Amino acid sequence: MTTTASIVDRLRARIGKDGPSTEATVEAGHLKRFVEAIGDPNARWASEAPPTFLVALASASAHLEEAEEYGKGWLNGGNRFEYFEPVKVGDRITATGRVADVYEKTGSSGSLLFIIFETDYVNQDGRSVARLRGTMIRR
Amino acid sequence: MTIKVGDEIPELVKHPTTRQLVQYAGAQGDFYEIHYDQAFAQSVGLPGVILHGLLKAGFLGQLVTDWLGDRGTLKSFEVSYRGIDQPGRLYTCRGRVTKVDGDQVELEVWGEDSTGNRTTVGTATLAMKG
Repeated sequence: MTTTASIVDRLRARIGKDGPSTEATVEAGHLKRFVEAIGDPNARWASEAPPTFLVALASASAHLEEAEEYGKGWLNGGNRFEYFEPVKVGDRITATGRVADVYEKTGSSGSLLFIIFETDYVNQDGRSVARLRGTMIRR
Repeated sequence: MTIKVGDEIPELVKHPTTRQLVQYAGAQGDFYEIHYDQAFAQSVGLPGVILHGLLKAGFLGQLVTDWLGDRGTLKSFEVSYRGIDQPGRLYTCRGRVTKVDGDQVELEVWGEDSTGNRTTVGTATLAMKG
């Protein structure tokens, strides 16, 4: 049996190391499905990405298999987006993610494992368009 | 219109459904079963399927961009998920201006469940056009 301490140690060893990059094009049809799912009818999103769209281009927080040995379920703790450049239809976005931090907390309902993910999004011109920081929790 | 601290953002009321969760799962590519499989959701200790945190962030993003229009640009947007929300219940997004410093405006935003509990809280930083 894997101890929770060794799971935490293995995850901590990944802190700061970039995962594989993924590339995706911002497609009008994808934007349309995304804003329809949110129920946001703003015509502006026909050509421009709404604030949370980048999570749909590349996984915001790859559910690390190793972490799934800890607890029984995932919870999303929060997301922070920083925006540097607009994202438009046709943009080719490269997303590179990494584990930024891993720590355990013990609360009233038992132990929780916090994994902080960071993703950088860069466009076809090599310009940083956004950075996302997400907190995923195993419980 | 001058923006000042304490200004309230017009509320945005959502009526999330299980169908919407499936739509969102497909659009985002997040197929974690707690968002559409009742039995799975209950097996991990939830009362039933729950809204994606990022769907609630999407609602709050809409609240902010509806209010902002073309008067400025969103510079940062942060959301913390404090509680779960289930489909079939009203979800109300609200916010207000907390800081105005030249062209920089900060907002506090939150989402309330049908009992008025703030299950999602966040902030947004905006750069207004001069």
